[in-house]
Amino acid sequence: MQAASLGIPFQPIRGLCHTDVAAVGGFATVRDPYSGEEVHVVPRIRPDWAVLHVHEADEHGNARLHGSLGYDPVMAEASARVILTTEQIIPTHEPVDHPELTTIPGIFVSAVVLVPKGAFPCGCMPDYDVDPGGIEDYLRATRSEDTLREYLHDVTP
Amino acid sequence: MAIALARTVRDGETVAQGVDSVLASLAILLARATHAPTLTWITVAGGINPVLAGLPNSSVSPRWLSGTAAILSNPEFYRLAMRGGVDRMFLGAAQIDQHGRLNSTVIGSHDRPRVRLPGGGGAAVLAQVVRHIVVWRTRHTVEIFVPEVDFVTAQGNVETVVTPLGVLACREGRLVLEARFPGVSVEDISANTGFPVASPGPVTVLEPAEAELTILQELDPGRQRDLEFPAADGSMPAGGGRERARD
Repeated sequence: MQAASLGIPFQPIRGLCHTDVAAVGGFATVRDPYSGEEVHVVPRIRPDWAVLHVHEADEHGNARLHGSLGYDPVMAEASARVILTTEQIIPTHEPVDHPELTTIPGIFVSAVVLVPKGAFPCGCMPDYDVDPGGIEDYLRATRSEDTLREYLHDVTP
Repeated sequence: MAIALARTVRDGETVAQGVDSVLASLAILLARATHAPTLTWITVAGGINPVLAGLPNSSVSPRWLSGTAAILSNPEFYRLAMRGGVDRMFLGAAQIDQHGRLNSTVIGSHDRPRVRLPGGGGAAVLAQVVRHIVVWRTRHTVEIFVPEVDFVTAQGNVETVVTPLGVLACREGRLVLEARFPGVSVEDISANTGFPVASPGPVTVLEPAEAELTILQELDPGRQRDLEFPAADGSMPAGGGRERARD
């Protein structure tokens, strides 16, 4: 996805030598035209959509992430379109007052959905941790389509 | 085990651990509290040098960020590692072979696996760019320590493997026995390993120091480290020996 974010077809990457990860992935090596070194290259992944959960966003999709950014910024750049789910909608003047706090710019975003506790039963650092009981409920619910449908109905606000 | 893992760390190193790594995290805390006070710790959450009261039991716990002045995103961490900025990393694996290669992808064939595992995360890259790779596994059996792994998820700079029975070290591309825990014999370890581990050199007995045990208890009074161990395991020393092996 790093390659997709840069608009290039592949990304040279360190490591992977003599691993089945490289073999099964079909990752080729190329010779660095400058130094002659052989490096693995991985093809770009360009998703049609990224669905990212954020802590705060205004109605234009200007988003603030607290805690770790994870891979969210690179996914927002690599994907053709982005849907944000957000813990909280903030007024549009807040990103204008502090644009340096915007970690995902609204120009990358197609839609914003207010979903408090949207990462449940997983965690949303630093706001809330994983809910182990919630994970067990989810695993039980995935045993059949009916129980999963019921579960999704129950946990969806 | 936590003490053996901690002793691999050298003071001043930049050390990292991945998801679901209670024992490795505890080892890093122990090293920092004893012989490696100036180590730099980058946690799974990207936080740098957290000040932790007790061990979080999930990899996204907000507590990972307490006391950290900066948080690395995942691409920032991998970029740091790929340019040689991480000295030591603790990795787990489902299977480990005589060449020190790690499998955390599948048991059986890749196309028709008997067990599909979570995968290696970034291990295929990290094991070759991080200078010192320390592996830990909380069981030591012939099913885990196999001559050849079913799938090579990662290989490269694996130096040390710590288990409840002892410590294996990679010498000239082969894993050999370096140390055993008190109450464990070389024969016990050979019988539970699927390849010859006879060491050309002497096998030391790894005795914990009183100070290490005391600090370990202070760092993890609730023995959260026990969560990583199976409840019943025939290959483990019985009784008090079991807790000692975990420490």
